[in-house]
Amino acid sequence: MSEHPETRDLLGPFVMDDLDPAEERTVREHLEGCAPCREEAESLRLAHERLTEFAAVVKTPPPHLKDRALGGMPRPAARRSVRSVPPSWLVAAAAALLVALGVAYGTSLLGGGEVAAATLEPTGRAPEAGGELSVESPTANSQARLEVWNLPRLEEGEYYELWFGKGEGRISAGTFTVDERGNVTSYMHITQETVGDYQRVGITLEKFPAEPRMDSARVVLGGELRES
Amino acid sequence: MAEVEDEILVRRVAAGDGRALGTLYDRYAGLVYGAGTRYLGDRGLAEDLVQDVFASVWRNAGGFDPSRAGFGTWVYRITRNRATDLIRRRKARVRTVDGGSLPEPGEPDPAGDLARGFDVAAALSRLTPAHRELLVLAYFDGLSQREISTRTDTPLGTVKSRTTAAMRALRDILSDPDGSPTDE
Repeated sequence: MSEHPETRDLLGPFVMDDLDPAEERTVREHLEGCAPCREEAESLRLAHERLTEFAAVVKTPPPHLKDRALGGMPRPAARRSVRSVPPSWLVAAAAALLVALGVAYGTSLLGGGEVAAATLEPTGRAPEAGGELSVESPTANSQARLEVWNLPRLEEGEYYELWFGKGEGRISAGTFTVDERGNVTSYMHITQETVGDYQRVGITLEKFPAEPRMDSARVVLGGELRES
Repeated sequence: MAEVEDEILVRRVAAGDGRALGTLYDRYAGLVYGAGTRYLGDRGLAEDLVQDVFASVWRNAGGFDPSRAGFGTWVYRITRNRATDLIRRRKARVRTVDGGSLPEPGEPDPAGDLARGFDVAAALSRLTPAHRELLVLAYFDGLSQREISTRTDTPLGTVKSRTTAAMRALRDILSDPDGSPTDE
């Protein structure tokens, strides 16, 4: 209120409990007899509580993270060029590739500081989908960047799972969901020990709470890791 | 006047402006990272969360519709969804790699304080730089009014009245997110 400008100017530090004792006493005495100022103080106290709660959640990210998070972004989705649907023989070949996941392979592609990548081709379950996987900076803790597009929209409880395969073995590298267009870019940490000499990559459509399985009937995308 | 609003920055991001994305990162990454450390319990996963969220902002900026929700609400939803993904991923990794004994993480933001945090972040971005600086010094750097007076070489009485004005402006934005930012 305009008749109490000095007191009203102090209400912010008052609710922050940051006034000198004499000022605080003056404000308290004023509030006892002034309902509008009490109301103003209460509304500022709510703002103070929101700021305090906010400050408790916020943590300064490590400085290197900004470059990592913003570096090398692909083009925004709105400007992405349209990808053509792969020919049917490629779909069939990709499906066969994943059905044959049990075939053993040779030496690791990920050792010796090399970078590996896989182009993910669709199966009949998601004929318009596609994806790319790249393993970056293959150190003790590698990072895999997965980009997929045009995957089927997920229903309640559904999610996608990324697998690496070798011979009869397969291992989950994590799960992800997609946006309403079936797109997502996801970054996953994979240890060199985890990936090792796994050469095949597959993505399955899973539904909670069923146990996820690298089952050919569930595969929507698959590919083979290659040196790049 | 306030700096460029989030919604304008998102439009620039949709046009491929990486600097606009950097500004949004500066405004929201601390909250996303803080949410990651709080709900994922792992700094590595928290970094993954930040990276995932801003990759999603970059890719999907063209589909952002400010008439449906403000940027703070939008990025909150992305953060919550990506945090849920990372929790599932961690469960899957534990299950498949070593049979796992990590404690079961809960759903992110069960009490809604993260959602409120994004509202506050969005409101802060709409304050004048002078008002925002005062609140940042007080709440994030933990400075008293007297310390802010010294730090900014501003009379103590002025700091107090401006702090009150800043809180008032923030309160008004929080109570009416669609209104025009005040510039007291």
